[in-house]
Amino acid sequence: MEASGYTTLTRQSGLMRELRIVANNIANAATTGYRQDGLVFSEHVKRTGGGESLSMAHGNVRSVSSQQGALERTGGRLDMAIEGEGYFLIETPLGERLTRAGHFTLSAVGDLVTPDGFRVLDAGGAPIFVPPDITDPGVSSDGTLSDGDRPLAQIGLVRPLEGTDLLREDGVMFRAEGGIEPTFDARVLQGFLEGSNVDPIGQIARMIEVQRAYETGQSFLDAENERMMTALDTFTR
Amino acid sequence: MHSLKIAATGMAAQQMRVETISNNLANMSTTGYNARRAEFADLHYQQLARAGTINASDGTVLPTGVQLGLGVRPSAISVDLAQGSLSATNGDLDLAIEGAGYLEVTLPSGQSAYTRDGALKRSAEGLIVNSEGFAVAPEITIPEDARSISVNAEGEVFAYFQDEPEAQSIGQLNLAGFSNPKGLEAIGSNLFLETEASGAPNVTTAGQDGLGTLRQGYLEDSSVDPVREITELIEAQRGYEMNAKVITAADQMLSATTQVR
Repeated sequence: MEASGYTTLTRQSGLMRELRIVANNIANAATTGYRQDGLVFSEHVKRTGGGESLSMAHGNVRSVSSQQGALERTGGRLDMAIEGEGYFLIETPLGERLTRAGHFTLSAVGDLVTPDGFRVLDAGGAPIFVPPDITDPGVSSDGTLSDGDRPLAQIGLVRPLEGTDLLREDGVMFRAEGGIEPTFDARVLQGFLEGSNVDPIGQIARMIEVQRAYETGQSFLDAENERMMTALDTFTR
Repeated sequence: MHSLKIAATGMAAQQMRVETISNNLANMSTTGYNARRAEFADLHYQQLARAGTINASDGTVLPTGVQLGLGVRPSAISVDLAQGSLSATNGDLDLAIEGAGYLEVTLPSGQSAYTRDGALKRSAEGLIVNSEGFAVAPEITIPEDARSISVNAEGEVFAYFQDEPEAQSIGQLNLAGFSNPKGLEAIGSNLFLETEASGAPNVTTAGQDGLGTLRQGYLEDSSVDPVREITELIEAQRGYEMNAKVITAADQMLSATTQVR
């Protein structure tokens, strides 16, 4: 088979990949703290004999949108949203993870935990304990958890050392492989949750584009098939 | 074809959101009801191209790689522990809890259940019971000849008798506090059970240890905010439709694939 078929195939499989990403974004349009994913296509050039080259589409770079999601008022004392770039630090059995989903509760022993039961860490990397007799804790914009005028803990706000170095994990968590550092650019809002930053209209438009591009690719393959059949027909007669 | 399944998880999530909202709206006038909220989290990610993989012979590495998500899952249905407004009923045994805490009742099995529904009644034997007929713990019996009952903010119950100007104390209602009240298991009829997540109850006098106080003659209304629920309902419905559109698109792409021979 000639290269045109393979070139189209790289495009088609890339589009399938992109539809998966769009489907995942739309499925997570109501997930607290979710950040929209995107796929970047790059050109993969192969030199062929005779000075010509062949260019293939290769979707192997991902982009995570860092746009601020809409803040939704829930009124929960332990619901927190981050305004600006920054993440909460949480402790999982697999190590420390970052998240923007600030929907926290207290565990049976009084530790501040995520809905999955992982402990939220303070600025010093220690779990945050809220005594049971405190029913109305306050959270200031720098993340200080307090009971009236008595500070209890400082909720840790961090960011990855390298901006793009964030691997996604289930449970709206990110893993920073290159290390983290404290950040002072982010503000914590108590009683709010950051909604998903998925732009549904943009995603639906992208989905239509992907679908049509895929159909174009398929009709190209179809035409290519016809052309070869005709050629075979003509030359073998 | 993962897109179909991913969109299906999205539809299931939005469906669950609508179920939560409809339950909230159905309980708009339930005494002591707290609104629930569906929370979601993303599913596992498949690593197709690892970040940091060498991409060219000169050592260029992929800066971000490709991770494909597999959809969404419900992570929690959390209880919004907001204080509902109080409505005056003037009933002797109607008690509203102002602040945190639960009244304790004993189920027929002998197990303790907790409730914020303070619409208490008097049983045929004179026991103070809740609307289901379960006795409040610790048990308090109202003497037959009591003229009226009064409950103070700390939960002490007094009875007034004919020809006696002084009220007599006949018992003490306690409140139970939990370190994580969102972890209580709802069993219907406004009752909750203690769980591993909620922690053990701290039963004490009302007004102590951060617990609220009692107000006689009032009932706590449902804390459901209909405006918020309707807004959420619109969002959930549109979200459902968008996921359905993804299924249509994925289906059409599949059909385009099968038409090539």
